[in-house]
Parts: sequence; structure tokens; C-alpha cells
Amino acid sequence: MTFFLNLDKRLPLEEAVSRVHDGDVVALGGGLSARLPMALVRELIRQRRRELHLVGSAHGIDVDLLVAAGAVAVCEESYVGFEQDLGLAPAYRRAAQAGELHIAESCCVTMLTQLRAAEAGVPFLPVRGVKGSDIRRLHPEYGEVTCPFTGEVLVAVPALSPDVALIHASLGDRHGNLHFDKPYVLDERFASAAKVVIATVERIVSTEEVAAEGITVPAHLVASISEVPFGAHPSSCYPEYAYDRTHLAEYVDAAATADGANAYLERYVLGTPDEQSYRKLVSEPLERLRSWHESTAAWKELFA
Amino acid sequence: MTATDVDTRALKFSIDEWFVVTLARTIRDREAVFHGFGSPCAQVAMHVARHTHARDMLLVEGATYAVNPDPAFIPPTGNDLALQRGATYQMRFEEFFDAAVRGDIDRMFLSGGQIDQWGNTNVTAVGAVNAPPKVKLGGGGGGCNLAATIRNLTLWTTRHGSGRTLVEACDFITDMGHRMHGTTREELGFRGNGPEWLVTELGVFDFVGGRARLRQVFPDISVEQVRAATGFPLEVAGDLRTVPLPSAVELAALRAADPLKVRHQEFSKDQLARVFEHRPDKTCAC
Repeated sequence: MTFFLNLDKRLPLEEAVSRVHDGDVVALGGGLSARLPMALVRELIRQRRRELHLVGSAHGIDVDLLVAAGAVAVCEESYVGFEQDLGLAPAYRRAAQAGELHIAESCCVTMLTQLRAAEAGVPFLPVRGVKGSDIRRLHPEYGEVTCPFTGEVLVAVPALSPDVALIHASLGDRHGNLHFDKPYVLDERFASAAKVVIATVERIVSTEEVAAEGITVPAHLVASISEVPFGAHPSSCYPEYAYDRTHLAEYVDAAATADGANAYLERYVLGTPDEQSYRKLVSEPLERLRSWHESTAAWKELFA
Repeated sequence: MTATDVDTRALKFSIDEWFVVTLARTIRDREAVFHGFGSPCAQVAMHVARHTHARDMLLVEGATYAVNPDPAFIPPTGNDLALQRGATYQMRFEEFFDAAVRGDIDRMFLSGGQIDQWGNTNVTAVGAVNAPPKVKLGGGGGGCNLAATIRNLTLWTTRHGSGRTLVEACDFITDMGHRMHGTTREELGFRGNGPEWLVTELGVFDFVGGRARLRQVFPDISVEQVRAATGFPLEVAGDLRTVPLPSAVELAALRAADPLKVRHQEFSKDQLARVFEHRPDKTCAC
């Protein structure tokens, strides 16, 4: 939440990720299979980070891969999975069922409210729901508050200031100004509520170019910026590329067993010393993912 | 008139199509309606409604929060640019959730791995609450707040026939129905009305006194089959009828909205073999 005023925040990915510590509360940007900070996730795994407490809204391969790598102690998202298309998150499910993962399942609204409290510097804010839901039983830290004006009893949720927020954007400049397209999901809230924002971008360009597209997250909230093309792969980063459904299906299939998940990690994450080698390994489909804008037929083809 | 002419006038459709049209009909015109992610049937149903009887609804497209888009196709993920085509405006995440919790959204579609007679749904975990789950499900998205404040809820499942979905009591209540652990939504001060409909691949339930009641069945399903698949005592409406047939216009809207057939993701192969034909000279699709 402190402002970051360095003029040049460009860092190699490896150095940027070294700011994340074991046990940190880590906010993941993006949602479902869109704009997930996958290069940062892969680097966290390469650096063998442990005991992370992940927070987010609806997530997929980002959380599942970190869980598969044994990097996670607590999961506090509103959803982890691959929707009806590819189904439940295999590693997340396996770890939860083995009792190896603390499941603190949350809700999009609750998470938003907790971040707003941190942004405003107040200790809590109320929500009207959650009462009656067993989600409340997963959160002994939630309280209750009686409205001094109406007498209504509401659930009080504590301010949430993640130690670090990981955000992937389309464009950025060396100061850390970021541009990305809607849906922003919780990224703007994470950016102002978190103690540190670590950003990756498809391309670092001039400030004028970022400003012309519109600044989504301003430089003073961002601690570091690293240029990583295809840094959201296999999730999408429009307008650059669509999500890689084939690769996601390959992952879900592999991760159905612990051995399969380890084989995937060995091949795509630990077996690639950096993101350049990762891109090389998956180079064949990568350019195909940019073809979405050629025609409706080409776009449909990517999802068939 | 040739035989071919007669054939083209006959409506042929499968259970997924009839099911989605039935979901669409729970939407009233001029409602503001939302579906969550991982909800292909509800997603397609909203576009069917907007192109047929609910042309002035406000359609909020799932995890993109795009307002009244016209996608060329529905992709297999709920957060994709393809879903935003033609939308003149996209709400921010905050904008949608604020509208929903202050009571400005009229309807939301909710499903669950388990659904009980009070319309509570479980999308969190099967098994005991205070132990490692037997099956960890994906999670509820915004449901445990939205179920309190959105005006009406349409619940759906395509797995009623499994016998494991409509249960006596949910192992875990993620999203609140009419009565949770003995407490009513009125007692908790919720402003939303709770579940209004529960549509399954076997039939349609309404809620009377907060409790699910079978109101319509599909013509190839008997009440006994519904009872056998339902984990709570089955209440049946006195005027139980067959689910109304889809119209040619509704079927055309559905097929145009969902050329990739993402709706099939919610059905087993066996279910998709349930094909119906309706000829103008017959009164039922049996």
C-alpha cells in the first residue's frame, strides 16, 4: 500500500519473484482461464516457494499448478476448477481430500469487501449474505456487527491486505503503469490493497502508448515490471491471444494422478529454466492462439 | 404437399434443447439476469430468452459482466472475449456485485452437486464439513452473498437421474435456499425471495412454503421415476402436467446462440439420446 516511486522498475522475472516469501499471502490476478499470472506462477514453482496462502476469485490452472508443486498451505478463493468443460481441479481436489490443504473457500463479494476495507484503511466492512451458508464455518475470523442506525445484524469481514499481488497485463511502461482489457476481475482492488504488486506484461512500451490505451493500474502501486510474452499462457490475454484449451486439457488429463502432475511439472516448469525455454517447448500452438481475430470461424476453431 | 415438406414442419429436438428452453422460460421480460461461470445451459438459456419472449431483459454475461452482448458462439469458458461481442458496455466486477447485493438484479441461475428440498445448493464439498472432504467440488463463486439479495433464483441440474443430486440435506450449504439448518431466509433478513424454480432433466419444480414441489414432468419420464431419483419426500402438484413444448422460434434461437453445443457439456451421452419429435397434427411429443 506504500507507493512505489522508482522511475525504472524493470526487473528480470527471477529477481521479481524473489520478493515473494514462503508463507506469504499471495493474490492472483485474472480469473478462470483468462489473464492468469502464469509466468509468475511457474517461476514461484522453479524457486520452490512453500506454504503460500493464496487468495483470489475464480481460478484454475494457476492455483492447481501451485498446489501440485506443493507450494500452497491455504486456498482462499471463490472457485478453483476448469468449469463444465474440463471439470474439477485435479491437484487441488486431491490435496483437499487428503487433508493436505487448508480450504478456506471464500466468495467473490466477500473477497471484494475485504479488499475494499484494506484500501480504505478500515479494519472491517459488513456483508449482507454469508449468514446461513456453511462458508461461514470455514472462517472463524469473520465476526458479526449490529448496524448502529438500523439494528440489522450483518457479517463483518476483516480487511485483507495481501503480502503480494501477481498481475499480468497486456502493456506496461518501465515505471510500472499497466494497461489491460476488461474484465479486470479483482486486479484493480488487489493492486491498491496489496503491500507489493509484481507485474508481468506482454510488452513494455512507452508511457505515451500505455496512456493512449488507458492506464488500468498506475505505476505508483507497482513494485516491479517484467516483460514476459505469453506470460498468461495457457490462459488467455486478449487482445494478444486466446486461451490454449488443448494445453489445459493436456494438463487436466496429466494431473489426474500425482505422478502425472509431477511429470507435467518436470516437463513444462522445472524442466524449463526460464520462460524463454517454456515458450520454445510449447511454440507450435502459441502463434495459432493469435489467430482468433482473423475470423469467427478461426476463433471457433480454437475452441472446437 | 410432399413428404419432405411434412418433415421440415415437424420439430425434432433433444433433451438438452428442451431443457434449455425450459430454463429460458423462467426469465420474465424486463428482468436483469445473471449466470455464473461453468453454467453453459443457463448461459445459452439467457440468450434464448433475450431473442424470444424477453427482448427487453438486461443480460449480464457471466464472468465478463458484458451487458446485452450478441456472441457469434458461446465458448467453453465463461471468461472469454467471444462473449462480449456486440456489448456496448461492460460492467466492472464491482459494479455487477454491488448491483446484485443492493437488490437490483432480478434473477440468477444456480446449480449444485447437491440440492435439497429447501433449494439449498452445495458446490463446495461432498462429505463431512469438519473433515477432509470425500469430493472437493469447485466452489461457489459469488453465491453465498448473491443468494441472499438477488430477487429470484432459478436452480437447475442435469443430474437428477443419478439419484445423488437431489438430496434430503446438503452435506455443505454453499448457497442459501429457503431454510438453512432450520432457519428461514426471512429470519436472517434476506431481501431476495430465494429459489423460484428448480429445473431438472426429469421435470420442473416450484417452491411452495419454501419446499420443492414437482409441477411438470418430461413426457418420457414417470412420476415414479422422479420419486426414485429424489432423495427427499416427493411432493407433487395436483395439476401436474407435461413440460410445455419448445416452439420453432425458441429452438432456432437456441441453435443460433450455441453452434458449438457447449450445453452438451452438462449431459451424459445416454441423456442426449432422449430425442423428441413434435408434429403439428399431434398434441404431444411422446
